[in-house]
Amino acid sequence: MRSTRAGVATAIMVLPATVLYAVMLVVPVGLALYLSLTDWDGFSASPSLVGAANYADLLVDPDLRRSAIVTLLVAAVGTAGLNLLGLGFALLVNGASRANSFFRMVLFYPHVLSALVVGFLWSAILGTTGAVNSFITTRGGEVLPFLSDPTWATITMIAVLVWAGFGVNVVLYLAGLQAVPAALVEAAEIDGATRWQVFRNVTLPALGPSVTVNIVLSLVTLLKTYDLVVSLTAGGPAGQTQTVAYLILWNSFHDARLGFGSAQSVVLMIVTAALAFVVTRLRRRGEMAVHQ
Amino acid sequence: MTLVLTACGGGGFADEAATQADEGGVTEVRVLVNITPNLTQTYWDGLVKTFEDANPGIDVKIEAPTGKGVADTLQQQLAAGNPPDVVETLMVDKTMAPQMLDLTGQPWVKGTPLVEEGSLGGKVYTVGVGEQAQSLVFYNKAAFEKAGISKPPTTYDELSEAMAKLKDSGYLPLRTAGDFVTGLQLLQLSGPARAVSHPQWHQDIGAGRLKAGESMLPHLERYKTWIDKGYVDKNALGVKYADGETGFFSGKSAMYVMGSWFTASVAKAEPDFEVGVFPAPVEKGQSYPGPQGATMAAPYMVLKGTAHKDAALKLVQWLVTDKAAVTSQLQQDGNFRSGYERKFTPLEAEVQKILDEAPSRVAQGEGYGENTLPRGFNSAWNTEVQGLYVGKSPREVATAVDRWVDGRS
Amino acid sequence: MNRYARLVFLSVSALFMLVPLYVLVVNAFKPQQDILANPFGLPVEGLTLDFLAQALDNPQFNIFRGYAVTLLFVVAVNVLSVVLAGPASFVIARSPRRRYRLLMLAFLAGTFIPSQVLVIPVVYVLKTLGLMGTIQGFVLFETVLTLPFSIFLYAGYISTIPSTLDQAAAMDGAGRLRTFWQIVFPLMRPVVATMIILNTFSVWNDFVNPQIILGPGSGLYTVTTGVYAAVSQYSTDYTVVFPTLLLAIAPLLIFFVFMQRHIISGLTAGATKG
Repeated sequence: MRSTRAGVATAIMVLPATVLYAVMLVVPVGLALYLSLTDWDGFSASPSLVGAANYADLLVDPDLRRSAIVTLLVAAVGTAGLNLLGLGFALLVNGASRANSFFRMVLFYPHVLSALVVGFLWSAILGTTGAVNSFITTRGGEVLPFLSDPTWATITMIAVLVWAGFGVNVVLYLAGLQAVPAALVEAAEIDGATRWQVFRNVTLPALGPSVTVNIVLSLVTLLKTYDLVVSLTAGGPAGQTQTVAYLILWNSFHDARLGFGSAQSVVLMIVTAALAFVVTRLRRRGEMAVHQ
Repeated sequence: MTLVLTACGGGGFADEAATQADEGGVTEVRVLVNITPNLTQTYWDGLVKTFEDANPGIDVKIEAPTGKGVADTLQQQLAAGNPPDVVETLMVDKTMAPQMLDLTGQPWVKGTPLVEEGSLGGKVYTVGVGEQAQSLVFYNKAAFEKAGISKPPTTYDELSEAMAKLKDSGYLPLRTAGDFVTGLQLLQLSGPARAVSHPQWHQDIGAGRLKAGESMLPHLERYKTWIDKGYVDKNALGVKYADGETGFFSGKSAMYVMGSWFTASVAKAEPDFEVGVFPAPVEKGQSYPGPQGATMAAPYMVLKGTAHKDAALKLVQWLVTDKAAVTSQLQQDGNFRSGYERKFTPLEAEVQKILDEAPSRVAQGEGYGENTLPRGFNSAWNTEVQGLYVGKSPREVATAVDRWVDGRS
Repeated sequence: MNRYARLVFLSVSALFMLVPLYVLVVNAFKPQQDILANPFGLPVEGLTLDFLAQALDNPQFNIFRGYAVTLLFVVAVNVLSVVLAGPASFVIARSPRRRYRLLMLAFLAGTFIPSQVLVIPVVYVLKTLGLMGTIQGFVLFETVLTLPFSIFLYAGYISTIPSTLDQAAAMDGAGRLRTFWQIVFPLMRPVVATMIILNTFSVWNDFVNPQIILGPGSGLYTVTTGVYAAVSQYSTDYTVVFPTLLLAIAPLLIFFVFMQRHIISGLTAGATKG
């Protein structure tokens, strides 16, 4: 009797979340897989199977190649930027003081703004007729191509992503710093270790798990960059800042190639999961090496 | 997997559209429209108000795109099973035709502008309010005078010469912009010459007899020399559409290639110099003016799945035939239609004259009706043409365009 | 680095962080030519509220309605997320069974799936369920997006709560459900607070999901889709851009400034325990 009742209670606790998750996350993933094998336009009567044709197209699609390179660049450089600034500033604003809590707020606040607003705002500042350029040109200077030259635009985009996001990494690293044993730091300082030695040999190893979490989180977030592209560059100039997520929606809806878009989705999913897995693995091995 | 199959196999958004029930005997007709600097939401709301007043049983709901444009948004809505009843701005193509209501039998569609040209497989799906001239070069008369150009250029060679003179007199010869403008301008500028050298351009490309990019190579090469010589702004890609217009009105540039709707912007901006217009030049040896690129202004389609077919048809009929409604739309977006007199600005009168004198009308770019390239051509073309600004050679651009077309057919 | 240098460096960085906000605020009160001529200066001819008033009166985007709709979504998603993820995490954290470990992994895998990838197929799922373009459909999908990380954090946190506590409750005859809500849940306050903060930001700021799931047909605009509709066509009319953006960010930013101690320490607490 009792075990049945407990069983019902357990089911009531687990099932709603599980079922909803299955319907709205697992099924869509399956659906994306299935659609990636079709040539569906998104609304006509029914999709017809085309096998792996979409995946074959992916390999030769020049737009996708370009956007894959941009996306990986954004993810790699962005992750480095987010984490270097995140950890650096966390060390600077660690400790309870009024000034520190003010600086933490200032570093974190862009995260409160949506990426869409951040993009519109920076495009109003850095665009060809934006604040900076109109400041320069009204004083007789030359326009700086922040958003009109492909290299500049890519750098601008990464810089804005880092500007808007590293506050989160600061907070996460601050949390990690609380786990650094103060006694160990003091002992090292008494032994006459320099600040750098303390950081390198005591703080950083203790931050190991934090670093992993931060890197994985940054990577996963940056690989799906979309909102900022819409508002900052709209994919331009010459399509050079279209990320994969941007291209997926473009292909699926604007070009009515939902099957092709789905194939891209599947690949993006696999790449994201694989990168997160590899980073976690590598980091774990690194941490074990430190501890040995 | 059952869910998967029902989800995809359904395809019947018709019944679902009916969920927008008629409340209290009022039929709601949803219209997805294009929002531009000329055609604002306020304008659209005001336009249909007159119709609503005359038809108390019908409530017209103007919907602005939530996606990147009308095409994206319509696609999303079709996928969602929640399409509007009427869509403005798009022309029918093979992908869309099965979703759209066949208007061939409606008596009022006859005689609407470009209705034949826009038909597909002998059937009318799209009806428009007027026509837009596409291949126009607007110019700053003061700049031309200062540069000593007495007569607008009629060939590309003359155009390049004029640009050199304008540059020497301190003007930016040709104003352009990023967004969709870069590719559009080159299509507009090359339209008349292309129509003469490749009269069956769209069909030939469709049948694989001609390569789109390859056939445009001379135009791409010429454009590249303009970039190199500074005849266009090398930072143009960072300029938005609306900014390109504003830039022209500032008086520092000499020419702006755009469709006839630009006349409405001129009327609104009242620049402190006189704006003139001439039809796009042609190749040496071709007769000038060449065929004029023409598109339907404010094209409307009724969705096949609409639950309010009668109300939707009534609205569209009113939009494209009612004298006041048509004139208002023509006026607002600077478009033309013979038989619908309205007060012309001198510039608009010049455009009307260009339309009257054009030997024929041609479709440009992605085209319409039977003259259609694969869906998305204009965007792909635009992206590749912008490549000229960022270091790609004309040959690379042409190849990329052809690869795009090949991948879609 | 000595203390003085540290303060100078931090102040300069803070300035750099705040410049965009400054530009946004001062230009929201200036006419276009003033913005273009003097983008970094204070309003020269006195500030004008005209453009802010215009932005408030935008026919394409009623900003107060946008606030209300977005707030509704934030509250609904948060409540639903806690109600669904809390009990499930409790079972997962407390059960040694293999099937729950697998369930945990299944949820965890969800954290790596970009929602941009999901949103297209979800359209068809919602359509089948008759929930496409509805508030319910949108809230359910947003809630699902919060589940993986919530369950990950909650389960981690619950395993730090001694299980003797719930065993004692079971002895007193309390069912599992009651044990969770009455004994365990109150102890989870810090981690629930963390999740609520995170979810509030992510729902409030989400763009692609409301853009696609709600679409123009529903007539529902969130703050972000409304901003997109109001700004994207006029992205160089700065008298539209700056006031609209300012209105869009003001509520959440003011909330953040007043609550920042709790928010940042809440996030820190969640991150340490989880």
